[in-house]
Amino acid sequence: MISIKNLHVSVGDKPILKGVNLEIPAGEVHAIMGPNGAGKSTLSHVLSGKEGYTVTEGSVTYKGQDLLALEPEMRAREGVFLAFQYPVEIPGVSNIYLLKAALNAMRKHHGKDEVDALDFLTMVKGKIKALEMDEKFLYRAVNEGFSGGEKKRNEILQAAILEPSFCILDETDSGLDIDALKVVSKGVNALRDEARSFLMITHYQRLLDYITPDVVHVLADGKIVKSGGPELALELEAKGYHWVEEQVA
Amino acid sequence: MTTQYSEAYAKLENSLAGSSLSWLSELRTQAKEQFLERGFPRLSDEEWRYSNVSVLDKKAFSPVSDSELGHIDIADLDSYKLADCWTLVLVDGHYSASLSDLDGIADAVIVSSMVDALKNHPEKVKSYLGQAVDLKEAGFKAFNQAWFSDGVFVSVAANTVLDKPLQVLHVVTSAEVLANTHHVIALGTGAEATVIETFIGCAERYATVSVTEVFVEKNAGLSLYKTQLESDKAVHLGGVYVKQARDSRFKHTNFAFGSLLARTDVHTDLSQASECDLNGLYLGVKRQHIDNHTRITHVEPYAISKELYKGVLNDKARGVFQGRVIVAEQAQKTDSDMHNHNLLLSDNAEADTKPQLEIYADDVKCAHGITVGQLDDKSIFALQSRGIDEETARNMLTFAFANEMVNKIKFKPLHEQILTQVLERFPQAGIDKAWL
Amino acid sequence: MSSSAEEIEKVIGQKYKEGFVTEIEVETFEPGLNEDIIARLSAIKGEPEFMLQYRLQAFRHWQTLEEPDWAQLNIDPIDYQAISYYSAPKKDSEKPQSLDEVDPELLDTYKKLGIPLDEQERLAGVAVDAVFDSVSVATTFKGKLKDAGVIFCPISEALQEYPELVKQYLGTVVSEKDNFFASLNAAVFTDGSFVYIPKGVRCPMELSTYFRINAANTGQFERTLIIADDDSHVSYLEGCTAPMRDENQLHAAVVELVAMNNAEIKYSTVQNWYPGDENGVGGIYNFVTKRAECRGDNSKVSWTQVETGSAITWKYPSCVLLGDNSVGEFYSVAVTNNYQQADTGTKMIHIGKNTSSTIISKGISAGKSQNTYRGLVKVAKSAENARNYTQCDSLLVGDTCGAHTFPYVEVKQPSAQVEHEATTSKISEDQLFFCQQRGISAEDAVSMIVNGFCKSVFKELPMEFAVEAQALLGLSLEGSVG
Repeated sequence: MISIKNLHVSVGDKPILKGVNLEIPAGEVHAIMGPNGAGKSTLSHVLSGKEGYTVTEGSVTYKGQDLLALEPEMRAREGVFLAFQYPVEIPGVSNIYLLKAALNAMRKHHGKDEVDALDFLTMVKGKIKALEMDEKFLYRAVNEGFSGGEKKRNEILQAAILEPSFCILDETDSGLDIDALKVVSKGVNALRDEARSFLMITHYQRLLDYITPDVVHVLADGKIVKSGGPELALELEAKGYHWVEEQVA
Repeated sequence: MTTQYSEAYAKLENSLAGSSLSWLSELRTQAKEQFLERGFPRLSDEEWRYSNVSVLDKKAFSPVSDSELGHIDIADLDSYKLADCWTLVLVDGHYSASLSDLDGIADAVIVSSMVDALKNHPEKVKSYLGQAVDLKEAGFKAFNQAWFSDGVFVSVAANTVLDKPLQVLHVVTSAEVLANTHHVIALGTGAEATVIETFIGCAERYATVSVTEVFVEKNAGLSLYKTQLESDKAVHLGGVYVKQARDSRFKHTNFAFGSLLARTDVHTDLSQASECDLNGLYLGVKRQHIDNHTRITHVEPYAISKELYKGVLNDKARGVFQGRVIVAEQAQKTDSDMHNHNLLLSDNAEADTKPQLEIYADDVKCAHGITVGQLDDKSIFALQSRGIDEETARNMLTFAFANEMVNKIKFKPLHEQILTQVLERFPQAGIDKAWL
Repeated sequence: MSSSAEEIEKVIGQKYKEGFVTEIEVETFEPGLNEDIIARLSAIKGEPEFMLQYRLQAFRHWQTLEEPDWAQLNIDPIDYQAISYYSAPKKDSEKPQSLDEVDPELLDTYKKLGIPLDEQERLAGVAVDAVFDSVSVATTFKGKLKDAGVIFCPISEALQEYPELVKQYLGTVVSEKDNFFASLNAAVFTDGSFVYIPKGVRCPMELSTYFRINAANTGQFERTLIIADDDSHVSYLEGCTAPMRDENQLHAAVVELVAMNNAEIKYSTVQNWYPGDENGVGGIYNFVTKRAECRGDNSKVSWTQVETGSAITWKYPSCVLLGDNSVGEFYSVAVTNNYQQADTGTKMIHIGKNTSSTIISKGISAGKSQNTYRGLVKVAKSAENARNYTQCDSLLVGDTCGAHTFPYVEVKQPSAQVEHEATTSKISEDQLFFCQQRGISAEDAVSMIVNGFCKSVFKELPMEFAVEAQALLGLSLEGSVG
């Protein structure tokens, strides 16, 4: 699905990622953990095409094409989805309008007709129910007045509707209470299948109790310093990041 | 007149919590000096401009030792205890083991009186006590810290969820008693808990001073309720001072129904991407004076604060809402929303509302809205035109106004208790509780 | 500049499309202002004697006034003697009786502006009065309106044909002594529209006036007077454009509205005077006094404005709510870019019982512009149960512009309910990236966001104007969220 080779990224003159190598085959869930400032969010931003980052070395191949050459909206239309760490508010634009505009942009890109309004509504209502969200969220402005937990659920709702092939979850679990975490995890697990890959960035091991990853990576100082199975997360939680940093050093 | 308390407490010094700990004695001494210098707040202190607490200087309220506790009407006390809760009872400012129910709490959770916590976990308490309060500010914090008799210590370990809510029941038994307690609630990373502070007392004049320090670690969530049902002659000064770490959540729901003179402070400091949700309902009748003061400080980026306070004031009651939101220079992407709505049921009732936004960052979203008004004649008329008499119509609309806040209570036994209290405090003719 | 910031610029900062000049022979007074000029102006208009006296009285008062001291505006001094107070196409001496007689250059001008004056080409249901510099050049659908009893004509014509009616109302809402620019206008106004809706009549079509400043070194001083008698209803629209010129031109208008018992007036403006270039050179100084009196019980006046043009805009369309149960509304979108300055808002003066008012103001500032909302809600002691709801929102585009909100609330009646809500937000790169990450291009995202921000005001505009307003903001109708 996605192949990241020797990726070096700077913000201004400051190198943040210093040679990241990562292969995520179709159908797999990979988790990335690491201390603050390790470059976790930079990785998600570079993959989705946010401005302000300079790739100084390395490559990212997605479904056989050079991902870094694509505009952000083209990456999205090709199936790269970022669930934002801090979802933004868009006052005046209703949630359902955004969903429809996004879905139609995607359909147009793939040479399909615009979605039928009635079918769309039926589909959205089914998905919103699965995420235990109130239907009234559809008609409220995007993320406006939402609590932190509601914003995160809204991200997963968008993923469920846009059905991306490669999903980046950037600290989607931060700020969620246990009940909300269970719901969000259920939503993510429902999306798991052999054609779809996930990159989960997290701060807290607790998430991995609900979404079991195939591989756990530890990102420290701009590099992946250790990879392993789900048990690595538990070890990290118990011993702290210093343990990994020391092992590497 | 601040010396009267100094003398009264000098006699009790050895019975105050942690009296043998030198670090605590030091904290108490600092606070005492601060209090003796400033005294209780005056109207000239900006944050106290609407509330005159000089009664605390003029009338001498007396602290009592744990051997002088008054009589408790058990049946009455039980009627305030909530079902499906852990219960900790403080009588006249002292822990009562026999009235409390804490048996079987998980090992990863400490719930104990402050006296016991200072004996059994002194280092743990030391790392929190006094860390969330700023004694330099005008208020009652210095007074509290100088002489608190006891209190509650709650500590929930990382990734632990307290299985049932904890109810802390404050009772004052006799006239002229001063109950002064200090509490710490600390939640580790990813921990969750619900705590309910309930304040009740005998039908006499007495005073309660209570300070709660809250520490919510990374990604943890605390839901804290305050139910202030003091006697209508009492003076109540309560404060909640919160430190929120990254990704944490703090929800405070404040029901201020009792006291002749009541003041509640809720202050919280927000770290990155943390969230607070402050709700309040104050009901004033006769000559009650109820003051709520909140201060939300966005210290770091991406935090969310929401606030909704509603007041219903009848007779000659006066309600005060002061809401400060401070957005520090580095707290970009702040999302803040504050609302205060007041319903005046009589021409002599008064609502003073003072929202204050102090914004030092440039990329933020801050909204605020306030209203002060009477019942809408059009709505009354609309109900009348459906055959409902005017009195019932007024009662229904008043209740509906308050009920928005009652409906925010997630915990059923508490919802039931507050609903009953709201209905008791206002004319309820025509409202059928069974329909609510 | 980053590419998404450029997108914002592209959408908000599109070129002024109405900046062409019509080449036409004109009759123009020499610059200067004195009693002789006013007498000549009144004479050329064939006005009744009372009008000349009214003008002279206003002029004499104006001479005693000083220009206002601008609170939030930076303005170069205006030389009132350097302005020509009358300019009209030459053929006006014999007033055209039908469109066939109107100069084809003029018809072409309005066609280019998207306002064809040929009734066949117009959308049915909108009557237009076209004002070119100092005179009205054509009014459409006059016959059809006359059948309904509605008077809709240039005010200069009304002064000749209905002098008593004009005399009864003119200056009763905005007196000739009201303020500096209102006095100036009373002295020198040249044309504008007059509307009278008789008792019980619902005006069968939308009325609209299209103002065009063409000549250089002139000012436009128009005067509009609308009277809705008992139980009547009218919807009125105005639009304005001007050529691109390097010097500033003055536009000082006065609009008076009178609503009697149970009457309703809906007044919509799309103001697109030339705003000056990207360096702040040129543009119209737009100093307007607009006021409505809800004199009758249960009367209602609704102001809706979309302000995109002018170098400086200074206007506060206001409602004096005299009648019991009367209603005042103000819906506004004000967009400023480059060096534009807007200081706009409303006054709602509650005097009658159970009066209510609604204020929705949306300010969008971009470039180096300054956008100020200034509003007054005043509840007199007599206004029992008065209600006001105010919402003012500001949207900032970029870091170099400013948004200011000055709400004034004065309440002397305890049963009043006054609500005020305000927000300030910013189109951020984060919002654009978020939309792009959902597959929506940055350009569409900006349209979507700006349009969403203005939605609650646009929905108050008559359909045809809503389209124009959205087009002005560079938005396609596809963006209308729903």
